[in-house]
Amino acid sequence: MEGGGNEFTGEITLRPLELSDIDDFMVWATDEKVTRFCSWEPYTNKEDAINFINTKVISHPWFRAICLNGQPIGAISVTKNSGNDRCRGELGYVLGSKYWGRGIATKAVKQVANTIFAEWPHLERLEAIVDVENPGSQRVLEKAGFQREGVLRKYMLLKGRTRDLVMFSLLSSDPKS
Amino acid sequence: MAIDLSRISLRPFKLTDVDDFMLWAGDDQVTRFLRWKTFTSKEEALTFINDVCIPHPWRRSICIDDRSIGFVSIFPGSGDDRCRVDMGYGIATKYWGQGITTKAVKIALSQVFKDLPNLVRLQSFVAVENIASQRVLEKAGLLKEGMLRKYTYLKGNLEDLFVYSFLATDSFPVVDP
Repeated sequence: MEGGGNEFTGEITLRPLELSDIDDFMVWATDEKVTRFCSWEPYTNKEDAINFINTKVISHPWFRAICLNGQPIGAISVTKNSGNDRCRGELGYVLGSKYWGRGIATKAVKQVANTIFAEWPHLERLEAIVDVENPGSQRVLEKAGFQREGVLRKYMLLKGRTRDLVMFSLLSSDPKS
Repeated sequence: MAIDLSRISLRPFKLTDVDDFMLWAGDDQVTRFLRWKTFTSKEEALTFINDVCIPHPWRRSICIDDRSIGFVSIFPGSGDDRCRVDMGYGIATKYWGQGITTKAVKIALSQVFKDLPNLVRLQSFVAVENIASQRVLEKAGLLKEGMLRKYTYLKGNLEDLFVYSFLATDSFPVVDP
């Protein structure tokens, strides 16, 4: 299988994730390859997934399904901060593993970058922190025009282990790629 | 004449520090890059020492001959951030440029990692214009990891910050003198 940069065979769009997407959600959310660098463990039952969509997704400040030809194959979200930190939002994303290496996540990130600053006028900085051992995700951000700012050593715990993380950012004033 | 650095110590705050506290916490130059607003009355200061400084998880007065000339604060993280703490400090302008803050930070490093045995990472954020504070951290042995662009508002100004860190596995600086 070839590396990243291949053309995907279809249209990538972002839209809200709904309860009716539950079966598509389960495809990526139960895959331990996908959740390896996520703070959460793979889902093991539909009930937990339904609960997640009802409690966390519906009320989330910005959560979208990444769709290929209208079908959800992953998710992308931006967290909101308040007060002195309102200038900053954190980007996160997951993609079904069979869709990796085709530029899809990069496309989704670029779509977020092109809309979020207009949607959130207080936002100056979109940031993402990526595990040093996740070069695929680092490349997504680089291709999407994010700047690599540095490695934060033993910055946080991922599933009980301290991790070195790379900090990336895109400013509202940065050139769009 | 250079101050004998063996006169510098760290200890918890006391209500009787209030007059000395006002000398530095009442100075705009000292609070310029802090989240603290400059104190304007002894009453305000007493309340703050009583309600904030004394019950604080880890805040110490920097003292010369046991008289308060500044502070060092450590803020612990929680949840997946519990492996790290944030450090802040400030000192009266009269004592700037003499290696005193560097000494205080070195003492703080050795004390904090002893007091918090599970601590992995201590970090400190410094505004890019605050060159003197960057030098303190470098001399105390912290590593500059990068610059976080437009990271936060500090007293209404959107700031670029350098992030510095010290790990439990790094070499502890020699404290004397």
